[in-house]
Amino acid sequence: MSALVAPWPISLILEPEVFIPLVYPGLVVLTLTLLGIIWLERKLTAKVQRRYGPLYVARKLGGAAQPMADGIKFVFSEQIIPRNTDKLVFIFGPLLLFTFSILPVIGIPLSPGYTAIASDISLLIVVALVVIAPIVLLMVAWGSNNKFSLIGGLRDGYLMISYEVPIILSILAMAALYNSLDLIEIAEAQAGTWGIFLNPLAALAFFAAMLIATGRFPFEIAEAETEIVAGWTTEYSSALYMSNMGTSYTRMYVMAHLFTLVFLGGWNPLPGFLPASGLLPGLMILVKSLAVMGLMVLLRSIYPRFRVDQGVRIGWHKLFTLSMAAIALSVLLVASGVWG
Amino acid sequence: MTKSRTLRHLRAIRTGVKHLLFSNRLTCPYPDARQMVSERYRGMIRLNMDKCTSCMLCARACPANAIKMYVMDGKKLPGLDYARCIFCGFCVDICPVKALEHTTLHDVAYLDYKENQFPPEKFAEGGKDPYYVPGGVVMVEIHDKKGLLYKKKAVEKEEKIVKEEIEHVSKEGTET
Repeated sequence: MSALVAPWPISLILEPEVFIPLVYPGLVVLTLTLLGIIWLERKLTAKVQRRYGPLYVARKLGGAAQPMADGIKFVFSEQIIPRNTDKLVFIFGPLLLFTFSILPVIGIPLSPGYTAIASDISLLIVVALVVIAPIVLLMVAWGSNNKFSLIGGLRDGYLMISYEVPIILSILAMAALYNSLDLIEIAEAQAGTWGIFLNPLAALAFFAAMLIATGRFPFEIAEAETEIVAGWTTEYSSALYMSNMGTSYTRMYVMAHLFTLVFLGGWNPLPGFLPASGLLPGLMILVKSLAVMGLMVLLRSIYPRFRVDQGVRIGWHKLFTLSMAAIALSVLLVASGVWG
Repeated sequence: MTKSRTLRHLRAIRTGVKHLLFSNRLTCPYPDARQMVSERYRGMIRLNMDKCTSCMLCARACPANAIKMYVMDGKKLPGLDYARCIFCGFCVDICPVKALEHTTLHDVAYLDYKENQFPPEKFAEGGKDPYYVPGGVVMVEIHDKKGLLYKKKAVEKEEKIVKEEIEHVSKEGTET
């Protein structure tokens, strides 16, 4: 076998159609990021609250293996399925939910030409796949046959109608600005100026809607621990609970990538040591997404929780207005010839 | 109204970031580092069997009924049950001959109930440090403004080990 040609398993893995769903931004990096971000969330919260946080598992790394230890504990604890639940939904709902949460990554390109789906509407594909998951969540909440699950699921339903409109509108504002629905073209258009500087209104609306969509503080309303036990995931235990918990972090991961591509320039500006094509520009996306995720989890230690009516009001009164203003700003920028 | 709310959001985020970047921690990772306490700390109580006059005032004063009198060689001596003791210090205050005194130790977690009970001989030892602390003692002090401070208070020959331990702990935690 020649030294220059990679053996077929490696070249197969490096194909974008395999690499993107399975490695990055797909399953492998997702799993590692989830473990890292849960640790980071606990550590940041602890630092803001002036205490230590996880410390003893992998002591040299500051307790970085704690989420992994927690995961092992979850997997080996007893899986309880309550008698009166809808068993099919109860068991397969979380798996479906996780699948729909991770599915949008297939539309995320890593560099010009390195994408699993070469499509000129990849932005719409990602957004459409992102907004499917909450329907399954309602199904899971209903199937649990528990009042807290139902309340949590309905709260998520209320929030769903209030965040999806701002998300889609602010994304469309950016699409109007870049005159494209293709994530590659959108990222390439930000080689000079990032979207967040062109249209900060859209970025703010999208960021806040993203917080609601992923159930981060101050919008952790559907799982409000102090009010409704664990919200829609109350009846779950063991591995299925872990899957439920991972779902919200997975959505955060996916939406942080979307935010990076649309507002933070994607792989731009590319540092000199990275090639301009292939999969390596994805490193820039990963770094920026991690920064966005870090900011999102930091808010846990800063904010208390809004009531559900406050959350819905913010969605409709503030974010909807803000995203409409963002569209107006985009149209103004394009029409006046300042941009595009 | 809206403006003041925006300002409040920004102020909240600023406070969070300020604590994230510039605040020291207020807690200490207990068995490895401990809070340094004052000499007059109301910790575990030590009995001086020679001074004790068996007056039983300590047992009468004890609000939690933690002190019980034992008979040893014809002499009555107090014994203490740490499962009941609330560390109020009344027994120390009331003792007319100063046979009881506080120590600075406060490690009263035991494996079973029996170990909580200190008959006079054990009571006279004043309680042992139940934890093994690698490298001697790393003391921490909680400063009102600066937060958690690490203090070296150890035997001279163990100083090097203590220093390593301090570096180890401060690498995990705060940078002071």
